[in-house]
Amino acid sequence: MGNGEAIPQASESDIEISRHRISAFLSTHTAYELLPESGKVIAFDINMPVKQAFHILYEQGIPVAPLWNSYKSQCVGVLTALDFVLILRELGNHGSNLTEEELETHTIAAWKEVKLHLNGQMDDSGRPYPRHLIHSGPCDSLKDVALKIFQNKVSTIPIIHSSSRDGSYFQSQLLHLASLSGILKCICRHFRHSSSSLPILQQPICAIPLGTWVPKIGESSRRPLAMLRPNTSLSAALSLLVQAEVSSVPIVDDNDSLLDIYSRSDITDLAKDKAYARISLDEMSIHEALQLGQDANSPYGVFNGQRCQMCLPSDPLHKVMERLSNPRVRRLVIVEAGSKRVEGIVSLSDVFRFLLGLA
Amino acid sequence: MNNQYGDDHDEATVLGFEVPKSPDSSYNNVYPGTEDEARDPPIVPPHLQHTVLSCPSRDSAGSISTPHNVILNHLYIENREAPRSVVALGFTHRFRSKFVTVVLYKPVQRRGNTSA
Repeated sequence: MGNGEAIPQASESDIEISRHRISAFLSTHTAYELLPESGKVIAFDINMPVKQAFHILYEQGIPVAPLWNSYKSQCVGVLTALDFVLILRELGNHGSNLTEEELETHTIAAWKEVKLHLNGQMDDSGRPYPRHLIHSGPCDSLKDVALKIFQNKVSTIPIIHSSSRDGSYFQSQLLHLASLSGILKCICRHFRHSSSSLPILQQPICAIPLGTWVPKIGESSRRPLAMLRPNTSLSAALSLLVQAEVSSVPIVDDNDSLLDIYSRSDITDLAKDKAYARISLDEMSIHEALQLGQDANSPYGVFNGQRCQMCLPSDPLHKVMERLSNPRVRRLVIVEAGSKRVEGIVSLSDVFRFLLGLA
Repeated sequence: MNNQYGDDHDEATVLGFEVPKSPDSSYNNVYPGTEDEARDPPIVPPHLQHTVLSCPSRDSAGSISTPHNVILNHLYIENREAPRSVVALGFTHRFRSKFVTVVLYKPVQRRGNTSA
């Protein structure tokens, strides 16, 4: 990492031993372990209007929901905060081409077709290429589930139990929405009492090639860490989220001190005011957008530690992993003690990329 | 073994083993009257009211309290005042030794709407 000060880097052998043991654990345990003793999954019929869907996501406090096709009796996809971001941008592009009536009835199914069209995933006659649902079964290994989530760059995949009785009646049961945080929780729970078997866990994160760090002076080749000011427009923030392919961006003041964080999932707060289509993304600042989601009007400058999970560069890896096991925490902002200057970000996918030794 | 064609076919019968004719009275039952339909249907057993569907998730993994065995494999519909454009259906079943509750939100067909 070479940052001027001589911070000893974790040894290759420590990294290799830890990776090997974690890989062995993930290969020998299945997705069934991710299911809670009694779990609840909220799903949407694909013919539901998108407006209602986002309102329910907000009401239930969930960031993603699987989609159900009643005619095929199976799960056909998921609806995420990213869908909402893309819809808002599309509505912004077309202006008032969509009437209020159309907005009320614009179904999830119709949106998914528009999305395929936008992504160039339709052939010349306008028919979509057949897409197969990315999912896993309860008997798949945790390693397969983690790789599938990671390689498809999604946040969750549905766990579906497919059974055929007599080979004729095919039944598909939606069991759970698996995420990397659930898998990380399994890892932490398993190795909690034998932390010496994973030597890398004791190392501070600044000594591990993990996460995205603000480049120090002289490291111009490093990709810069995207950050925003509180008065940036919402449309600029959403564009940054989509283009940089990140799920959140820290919001900093003029000294690069952390104030708050804007995540893709925060977009569902706009659904609180049902007239989301009338919000002008160019005129609203991210600070104002975040106010929508907060119950009490915290004045500008008051730091909300709950929303913005932080850690220090000296924190050991196991502490970072325990905190990322919380499904509500998908990334930690690495800050300098005291000043809260942003030094980097470590996300859930960064941790898996490192633990599984992926590119 | 009841041979329903016994009266029509010309079969050799063994003495003492002839199939007896069905008594006429069993075919003379009166059609049930409408007074049965005037009664209220039996009430829903009260233990079916203890659904876990109203439970909010304790964490983002969707954990809720353990359901009672009696409510498993019953389909519930959300009780909300009409008119609603979206209705919630809930169902709890057992998968191996764990429980899964699925809540499906479906659009309600608007009156006069002929689309599927």
